[in-house]
Amino acid sequence: MTRLINAASIRSLLIDSEPTLHPAAQSGPVSVCFRNRLTDPDKGGWRAANIPLEKGDPPGAPAGLTSMNFDGYDLDTDIYDELFRPDGTPRPHGRDLYETLLDASDEDLNAVGEWVTRSFTHEGITFTVYGDDEADERIIPIDCIPRVMAGSEWRGLAKGLEQRLAALNAFLRDIYSSARIISDGVIPPDMIFGCPQYRIEMQGFEAPRGVWVAVCGTDLVRTVDGFRVLEDNLRVPSGVSYMIAIRKATKSAMRLLYRRSRVGAVENYGLVLRQTLREMAPEGCDDPTIALLTPGVYNSAFYEHMFLARQIGAELVEGRDLVVEDGHVYMRTTTGLRRVDVIYRRIDDDFLDPLVFRPDSLLGSPGLLHAARLGNVSVVNAPGTGVADDKSVYAFVPDMIRYYLAEEPLIANVDTYLCRRPEDLEYTLDNLEHLVVKRVGESGGYGMLVGPHADAEERNRFASLLRQDPAGFVAQPTLALSRAPCLIDGRLEPRHVDLRPFILSGSETRIVPGAFCRIALRRGSLVVNSSQGGGAKDFWVLEKD
Amino acid sequence: MLARSAESLYWIGRYLERAGHLARLMRQQTESLVDSPVRDIYFGWHRIYGALGRRPHPGPLDTEADEYYTLADSFTLADDLTFEPTTPDSIRNCFARARENARQVRHLISAEMWASLNRSYLRLRDLEIQNIWASTPEQFYATVEVDIDAFRGVSSSTMYRDQGWHFIRMGSFLERAELVASLLGAQIAAVRLFEVPVDAYWTSLLRLFHAFEAYQKGDGLEIDAGRVLDLLVSNPQLPDSLSMSVLGLHRELSAIGQGPDRTATSQARSQADFMSDLLRSAWPRTIDAEGLFAEFRNASRRLHDLVTETYFDYPVVTRPPRVGGFDQ
Repeated sequence: MTRLINAASIRSLLIDSEPTLHPAAQSGPVSVCFRNRLTDPDKGGWRAANIPLEKGDPPGAPAGLTSMNFDGYDLDTDIYDELFRPDGTPRPHGRDLYETLLDASDEDLNAVGEWVTRSFTHEGITFTVYGDDEADERIIPIDCIPRVMAGSEWRGLAKGLEQRLAALNAFLRDIYSSARIISDGVIPPDMIFGCPQYRIEMQGFEAPRGVWVAVCGTDLVRTVDGFRVLEDNLRVPSGVSYMIAIRKATKSAMRLLYRRSRVGAVENYGLVLRQTLREMAPEGCDDPTIALLTPGVYNSAFYEHMFLARQIGAELVEGRDLVVEDGHVYMRTTTGLRRVDVIYRRIDDDFLDPLVFRPDSLLGSPGLLHAARLGNVSVVNAPGTGVADDKSVYAFVPDMIRYYLAEEPLIANVDTYLCRRPEDLEYTLDNLEHLVVKRVGESGGYGMLVGPHADAEERNRFASLLRQDPAGFVAQPTLALSRAPCLIDGRLEPRHVDLRPFILSGSETRIVPGAFCRIALRRGSLVVNSSQGGGAKDFWVLEKD
Repeated sequence: MLARSAESLYWIGRYLERAGHLARLMRQQTESLVDSPVRDIYFGWHRIYGALGRRPHPGPLDTEADEYYTLADSFTLADDLTFEPTTPDSIRNCFARARENARQVRHLISAEMWASLNRSYLRLRDLEIQNIWASTPEQFYATVEVDIDAFRGVSSSTMYRDQGWHFIRMGSFLERAELVASLLGAQIAAVRLFEVPVDAYWTSLLRLFHAFEAYQKGDGLEIDAGRVLDLLVSNPQLPDSLSMSVLGLHRELSAIGQGPDRTATSQARSQADFMSDLLRSAWPRTIDAEGLFAEFRNASRRLHDLVTETYFDYPVVTRPPRVGGFDQ
């Protein structure tokens, strides 16, 4: 029997009830048990009256339906749960979501989950995985249950993100000019000048408005001690299209809850990005022509490039569409060459300009950097920003905040051991089973050792790699990432999550209240990358606290 | 509009026109498998393959034993034209290419157009000839036609009438002109090969182009090859007639406007004029209709080249930028 029901539609009654706590709820890992509304004799019958059963169903006969419950939903005092307090009661801002979930039948909720996935397939919101034979288009697994956050908490986070980006931009301005931070001894010079992402070609470059990074995606994780920045993505951060697409699907699947919850809107991201890019236009250019530079349809993030081009009203160009002439950049249109003022580039530095970076690159445009240096075109983000999101340089961001802004960091870093330092290397080698070891310069969850989950052989392999090239690695304690309820095989189970909000900086800094929230779908896994078995869910910033 | 995007849109128009044309032919052909004589079935395959410029299917005729082989051959031939990955213009490949082009310009077409095309493709992607052959293949082809009609309808009601729209339309008209001319040529060749002109061959041609009723209105019930061809070539009210396609090409070229180079633009327009002239002055006086259709088809191909050179792939002369030139 097919039912056109969504989880929220049946939550038309607001019934206050306190969850019944597991006897062991006050200490150690607990399982939260809740009264099952459907089988609760007090509530018997209301469900049938509130669900538009299919024609022909006898009234009061919800046969075959079982209600969602949190049986087996483990809480762990060492892991922050986004929905529940340690005592097993829902957090105040999550109460509506909690009740909606409790009131939904598993059939309904699974239908919602399937609907969200199907809508992604139909709309072709895919990323491409290339195998030996042919390209496989996949969708990122979407969990239909939103992660919710109180408004006040978000505002605090946003301040911290703004502070961090301000410091990172100041850092980039500095190291590509006088490099005061090095002469003042805050950061060792080899850390910067030895970093592969440092682009000597950008020395002396003046970014428009001093903004090197106009679009930033910062990865945040939460532990029981609060939020921490896991990494900054300052080159071509991706995922924002998923944030918007997941929102569209989730809010439509949970329409009543969404309406009642007063969720901060993310759909205007395109307008905000457009405004930011306009502000980045070269001096004197009031009505800039904006182009989004993509590596092309075979790039796994092509959907996002297309999506954003549409949102900001930009042409979606590839390197072969661009021509540089007399220090200006033009694109080939059906009426001839047309000048481009702002390029929102979604390709890496290496491929931007074969005359300057990789000579074998066909993705960029010869002479592009020259035009940028003349100030005739703004390239966003500026080439060379990768030095500031390097995994080693990351360790110094709190120092940058103190150095440039004379403020204390509002969001902490994760403790980082730089294996280039002998004492850090020794500590890392001694504690491999507790640490996450990351290779500097890798991303996407590759080249990484998760100590507690690795076997002895893998740890030994990394130990010898570490001894060979200590400067190539950093180590961090394994974090107990916070968890949020997810629908896994028809049951509500906690899964680890992270958060990537997007910070835009032009004349001013703007952050839409939302983020790309990734999930580690495998039980116990901490790896959220979509290339490594991760999924995603919606993230709601609520007006209320 | 970005030249590359315009080219993608143009190809969406072409590929879907090609898929629709083939689906119509295949529907008619699979319908004929139910009750038509073996000779008619062979005639149909000859016509289809001839129009594609491929060697017509050889085969003995008129013996009792052929019935079995004809049906078995038909299965293979239908697979070849519908699903075969190595047939560049199989229906599935046409859809895949149209969709791939659409994927690159999704930001320029309406969301409804993308959804319509994507859904059709996804459905087609998972089918094989066995799936459609077991029940009613003609229904499958009819569904493909409906999908394409739906795409056209959705495009017409949702797409902004910018240059992109006109490039899609130009692709459709140019493809149609070429396909119809090819098929008319193949029809004449197949009729000659099978010696006895049979009314049914001409009726099926009329039905293929939604022209049967129009023919009856104008020319009555008696089927005359010359009058059928005349209708399909020069009738200004029949959507699939050659003259309608040429009219469409003129309209779209004028709506698209000047390309970067005036000489190239006027060459493209002159080529469209040449195609009109072929239909106006050479038809119906020609004694070599087959040759005329071949000339018309070649003229369409030439127009394609000119459109490409004018709007998509025009030469840009630049001075080479200085290597490593950063000095301000």
